[in-house]
Amino acid sequence: MKFSISRALTIARREYRTTIRRKAFLFSVLFTPAYFAFVMWMSIKPQVDEQVRALKNFNTLGVVDSSGAFASVPDEIRSEISPDENPFQRAAPGAAAPKAPAAATLFRTRVRVLPDQAAGEAALRAGQINQLLVIPSNYLATGKLRRYALKNNLFSSAEERPVSRWLVRALLAGSVDSLRIERAARPSRGMALYTLNREGQFELKDSSRELLDFLLPFMLGMLLSMCIVTAGQYLLQGVAEEKESRILESLLCTVSAEDLMAGKLIGLGGAALTLVGCWVAMGAAFSAPAALFAQLHFTPLLIAAMLAYLLLGFLFYASLMTGIGAITNNIREAQQFAFMFTFANFVPFIMMRAILGRPDGSLAVGLSMFPPTAQTTMMLRLSAPGSAVPGWQIALSLTLLAVTAVFTLKIAARVFRVGLLMYGKTPNLPEILRWARQG
Amino acid sequence: MLEVHEVTKTYDDRAVVNAVSFDVQPGEIFALLGPNGAGKTTLIRMITDILKPDSGTITLNGAAVGGDLKRRIAYLPEERGLYRRMRVTDALSYYGELKGMSRQAARSAAASLLDRVALRESANLQVQALSKGMQQKLQLCTALIGDPKLLILDEPFTGLDPINVQLFEEVLQERRAAGATVLLSTHQMNKVEQLCDRALMINRGHMVLYGEVREIRRRYAGHAVRLRASAMPDSAPGVTSIAEINGEHELTLASDATPAAVLRALLDRGANVESFALSSLPLEDIFVRVVQEGVGLDRGQSGPPTVDVPLRSGGAR
Repeated sequence: MKFSISRALTIARREYRTTIRRKAFLFSVLFTPAYFAFVMWMSIKPQVDEQVRALKNFNTLGVVDSSGAFASVPDEIRSEISPDENPFQRAAPGAAAPKAPAAATLFRTRVRVLPDQAAGEAALRAGQINQLLVIPSNYLATGKLRRYALKNNLFSSAEERPVSRWLVRALLAGSVDSLRIERAARPSRGMALYTLNREGQFELKDSSRELLDFLLPFMLGMLLSMCIVTAGQYLLQGVAEEKESRILESLLCTVSAEDLMAGKLIGLGGAALTLVGCWVAMGAAFSAPAALFAQLHFTPLLIAAMLAYLLLGFLFYASLMTGIGAITNNIREAQQFAFMFTFANFVPFIMMRAILGRPDGSLAVGLSMFPPTAQTTMMLRLSAPGSAVPGWQIALSLTLLAVTAVFTLKIAARVFRVGLLMYGKTPNLPEILRWARQG
Repeated sequence: MLEVHEVTKTYDDRAVVNAVSFDVQPGEIFALLGPNGAGKTTLIRMITDILKPDSGTITLNGAAVGGDLKRRIAYLPEERGLYRRMRVTDALSYYGELKGMSRQAARSAAASLLDRVALRESANLQVQALSKGMQQKLQLCTALIGDPKLLILDEPFTGLDPINVQLFEEVLQERRAAGATVLLSTHQMNKVEQLCDRALMINRGHMVLYGEVREIRRRYAGHAVRLRASAMPDSAPGVTSIAEINGEHELTLASDATPAAVLRALLDRGANVESFALSSLPLEDIFVRVVQEGVGLDRGQSGPPTVDVPLRSGGAR
């Protein structure tokens, strides 16, 4: 039976409508971003809170100095948490984030000199001091120190940094001027980093930009992956369910396997695009860094590449999922088969540090040429800060992906045609290959 | 008219359907019979263009099946399934649209079909809210929408109550009267005797019976006799079994026995015979004999067997 675009569109319309009307779809639209936001909040907020709490409660440091090197110590330690370190800190009233960042939060810790360790420990136990620093007589020679605290918090080292700075200041006090002491305590505080931009110019890398530099490739790669994987899952589920519920036989009497497959690809791909589109819209509308989106720099090349990789990546993965749905007998079996292919799409995220660290390295180039990982890796590379992917690499990567996608589509269509009406034993590889030849 | 000519389908060097030929006239209800695994479903899938035959031709009104002609063929498979979350009207009109109807025409046709099978009140329910019998009626409607010229039904009566069986029969007769060609695959032989003009039986992919249902029964009539007798022996030469039905005795004869010889033997054994008549075997018994005893097969051949009942391409009654 010849392929009919009108039948394919009728099928696509049904697939799309049925999918977006499902409660599971609405649940995904609303709760997936909320879930990710919650997980991120849960993983970062307690750490920041703990750091703030530790410094806030660090009121008094007891010092027992047996070395004599800290004869004239400053009696106060000043420490701060910058807004970069605390993304949950509210901006200054009236300030339009992120142009006017919130001021750093300041903390003060009093230093109390104690005569010996016994007195120090007693003061610590009595709650008169929060921590005790014991400086042995041979400190200058060995560098060894002892710090005592009532509780051992494995995850908080917030107090260590201000104590280190205090030690530097105390060691140098009286030897050099106050400016040098300040510089020695925080020698690289004012260091500015200039890196080569895409135009070949050195550009100041500011800290707020750093987040964007990470966010853009991560976001684009993740959106692309989510879109492709979601559409693939819809297809997998749709085909497996129809096969399991025996709808296909009466359907295939009326339409061809090609009509059915094309309709599913269009309809369920559209549903996945709608889902990801909703997430983007919600992210832009509700997230705190909404203004950050406005600063993201989407070049025409990036947008064109994203669309090309989205289309080809979708065709590749969707064909695979359709084929898997057709050869398996139920949704559970289908998902087991599909996992290894879906996982490949996320491999670049596991290696993101290496890819973004060296976007032109052999790992990044290799993964962007390998069809199962090409779309995600190339998105990461194209949007990585300072990366300039050669045109021939993009062209080669797209060509390889296109050839693989078309090949997979053809094989999947053949397997789909034969596999749809096969029930019972899941075919082995030789059988699948025979279907691919005979279908 | 549906014409199937020398159609063969092979899987793994095994002929699932082997050189099968038959025709079904417009306005005829034709039975496709055979034990499980005989090749019926494969044959139906080739007629519906889901599968391609390795050799042979299948035509409907002179044109090869497939292409746009597929819209004129409807199939109610034995393994039934519907989109459970769709509303009844939507599910039905979806099939109409797939058969090339406009959305409006499909909805209108859906409404009249639902009326015909008494499902109008369930039109706005989800399919999953329907009972099994109601789902089966809806499934019949999905086959009927689009006014198909060839209607293929695989075990349509399974699981239906007597009222709905009667409804299905009426609908089939209506389609026959409208000139549609109906191919009925079933194991319910009483329905074949009741509804079908002709029948084809295949076994292991080969044709084993083909012809008018009455002719098939007449051909096998010699193998059973029905008699009324006041004194009846327990056994007789040439009789394989004796059953008592409504005060009469039905005797199944061995394949080499003749009714006259059996009557003579009964009288010799003191039977007081009041009436004696040839009994036509129920189609079900013929089915069992053909499959189990290989009646009609030429056992000397390892390939396609010969057909016992003369092939008669009868027209519609």
